[in-house]
Amino acid sequence: MRVSPEMQSRLRDNAPLATLIVLVLVVGMFSPAFLEANTLMLLAADTATLFIMGAGLTFVIMVGGIDLSVQTVASLASVVMAVTLPGVGWLSVPLALASGVLAGLVSGFAQTRLRIPSFIATLAVSGIAAAAALILSGTQSVPIPPAMRGTVLAFAAGRTFGMPNDILVALAVLLASLFVERRTVFGRWSIAVGAGEPAALVAGVPVNRVKVTALAVSGGLAALAGVVMGARLSSGSPTLANEFLLPAVAAVCVGGTALTGGVGSVARTLIGALIVSVVRIGMTFIGVDPFAQQIVFGAVLVLAVAATIDRSKIPIVK
Amino acid sequence: MMDAVLTLEGINKTFGAVHALADVSIEIGRNEVVGLVGENGAGKSTLMKIFSGVYQPDSGRILHDGKPIALRSPLDAARAGIGIVHQEQSLLLNISVAENIYLGREAAFIRHGAINWGAMHAAARRQLGKVNLDIDPRRRTDSLTFAERQMVELAKALVLEEETDGHIVVFLDEPTSVLEQIEIDILFARVRALRGRASFVFVSHRIDEILQLSDRVYVMKDGAVVAGMAAADATEEKLHRLMVGAGRRTEYYREDRQVPHAPKVVLAAKQLGHAGQYRDVTFDLHAGEVLAIAGVIGSGREGVVRTLAGLLPQTEGRLELDGRPVTFLSPDAAVRVGVGYVPQERRVEGVVLPMSMASNITLPSLRRMSRWGVLGGGERQLARDWVKRLSIRPPDIDLPCGNLSGGNQQKVVLAKWIEAGVRVLILDHPTRGLDVGAKQDVYDLVRTVCDQGVAVLLTADTLEETIGLAHAILVMRDGMVTQRFEAPAGSKPGQLDLIRHMV
Repeated sequence: MRVSPEMQSRLRDNAPLATLIVLVLVVGMFSPAFLEANTLMLLAADTATLFIMGAGLTFVIMVGGIDLSVQTVASLASVVMAVTLPGVGWLSVPLALASGVLAGLVSGFAQTRLRIPSFIATLAVSGIAAAAALILSGTQSVPIPPAMRGTVLAFAAGRTFGMPNDILVALAVLLASLFVERRTVFGRWSIAVGAGEPAALVAGVPVNRVKVTALAVSGGLAALAGVVMGARLSSGSPTLANEFLLPAVAAVCVGGTALTGGVGSVARTLIGALIVSVVRIGMTFIGVDPFAQQIVFGAVLVLAVAATIDRSKIPIVK
Repeated sequence: MMDAVLTLEGINKTFGAVHALADVSIEIGRNEVVGLVGENGAGKSTLMKIFSGVYQPDSGRILHDGKPIALRSPLDAARAGIGIVHQEQSLLLNISVAENIYLGREAAFIRHGAINWGAMHAAARRQLGKVNLDIDPRRRTDSLTFAERQMVELAKALVLEEETDGHIVVFLDEPTSVLEQIEIDILFARVRALRGRASFVFVSHRIDEILQLSDRVYVMKDGAVVAGMAAADATEEKLHRLMVGAGRRTEYYREDRQVPHAPKVVLAAKQLGHAGQYRDVTFDLHAGEVLAIAGVIGSGREGVVRTLAGLLPQTEGRLELDGRPVTFLSPDAAVRVGVGYVPQERRVEGVVLPMSMASNITLPSLRRMSRWGVLGGGERQLARDWVKRLSIRPPDIDLPCGNLSGGNQQKVVLAKWIEAGVRVLILDHPTRGLDVGAKQDVYDLVRTVCDQGVAVLLTADTLEETIGLAHAILVMRDGMVTQRFEAPAGSKPGQLDLIRHMV
């Protein structure tokens, strides 16, 4: 059977959502408890931090780059928050977020001024952030005073009408990101840079500024993910977000945002993040060793990228 | 009946709405030099890519020694004995001459899993001997002159002789564009000497050279072969008429709409220069004026254009906008003060291919159309207005620009700059690859923006276009302006006047 190009692209567009629905039904069939409201709520809460991180990463991938520093930046932010919390109170949260934005700015500077590919720039910054987190924390997890969880960190650790607040934070990130993506000049510029950088440059788009901004947003949202995680677990830790990079990249790509840039959306990343969570929980249900789960994510990532990109348009793969 | 090595029968090729090749039939005989002449955009390159297996025809047949064959890849073409000497040289500069000649063919020299360099160098020396080039094949390619590299390319194409049992056909794609006259003479002498062992197809837009070298000539125009004749029966005049159609028509370039420009100087260059590219370029560009720069590749005019577009900031002299000195460090800086660039590479620098027509048209105007970085409404209506005003086809503002024909893409590029309110428009080969109708539309638009007081700087594909559109023409050679011509409507300089100062 031959499929027309329009049909192919429509299939590609809707494949992630279809995959998610099928996965939920399959896991639900094996274990009906999965489809209960409580489990689904837990699924959403589990997905929240991964999605926040993935949302930031989406901006970078949209402009055709990659941010490999998200997991260490998240860990660093959790440490910054936990360490400064007793001293500065609520200010620790903006401080933690600022550390993430700073990491993104450094990567952006390296990429645009020193003209280093983003994957090398962010890999290097990732190392710096990891070491900074270790030094700042004295290489161990830093507990957060329980009282603070109910006050300063209530926005992330509390519940509203019985719903965990991290879900609400993720929803806020989703709405804000969608707004930026669809209704702002920066959003439009990002698409233009990712889809055709030379033409965007000639049209007067400040390409470097767009790239730096995307990395700063990614750093800031990775830090927010770290703050939410830290608040949930009552501690900051230099290894808090380890094992999050691969699922985060997988979430963006599985959702259908093209690694080549110019095509994608934070909404897709939400679907991607949910797929990753369902696969993760599904594996736990089936009894896959948690340590082996990254094998599955690695394989899923390669398959998702292979299925979603139109390889005929990519002449050279580096 | 001619003894044909390669025959094309009724070849058609379309790209989107563009009919790049229309029912093309040509024959290449044994030991024959066939000239293929036509203006830029006439379809010569597409035809070459059919022969070299890069493109597949939509319909029609290719016969090799009378038998139909399929050329699905450059490898297929090589097996059929078809070699190409590319216009932009395809040699890798960081490896030796011998390695270049045998790139991808190293297997023949492998002994015990390693390359036998002695054997490869000896073989390379034999190939270089065929073209009479006496250089050490171990030399790094970047130490060769352009002319030497061209000879190496030719030697490389001749390797096919040893690899195929049949007769070989070598395509020379605009081989003279980067050569000096003396080097051209050497190249031609070599080709004539080699005619005994191969057929040649010489592709060029230089009629005089085509006539000098070829036995037979095909003329292409707008994707079709409009004539084929023995070189003995052809004259420059005759070929030229066939190439450009019915002589030069004043209405074609809308000369009737060319009016004297305003006295106001918008952009001025004073001893402008960029080290290694061009120097001492001085001109005043007035509101409503079309100032054209003529010159061959390497004359420096590309550099001037890139400087004005913000892609190659000047290193010497001054650029003044409204009398104030400016340096465009990025296209962003140029766009902000009202300088728009319509690039030669339309699909790379002109439009963002996957983005919609509407998004492309508004891309340089987003700052104006937004508040605090948030986009206002009105984009879609604005895009619809442009589609209507310029009759862009198909009239679907959500269609990605990649799905448009070249002419409609160019309309989008022009629309985006007019919408952005530019005061200076830089047109870099604005009609490259467009069909006649689309060219007319572009010429019309140029006159319209001039009426609105936009200053236009033009580098055109052909001298005819340069002369037809311009109010004044600067001729450049070797990085410097060699002559200035006034070109008011009704009293245009001739092509030969310009050429004299170009080469």
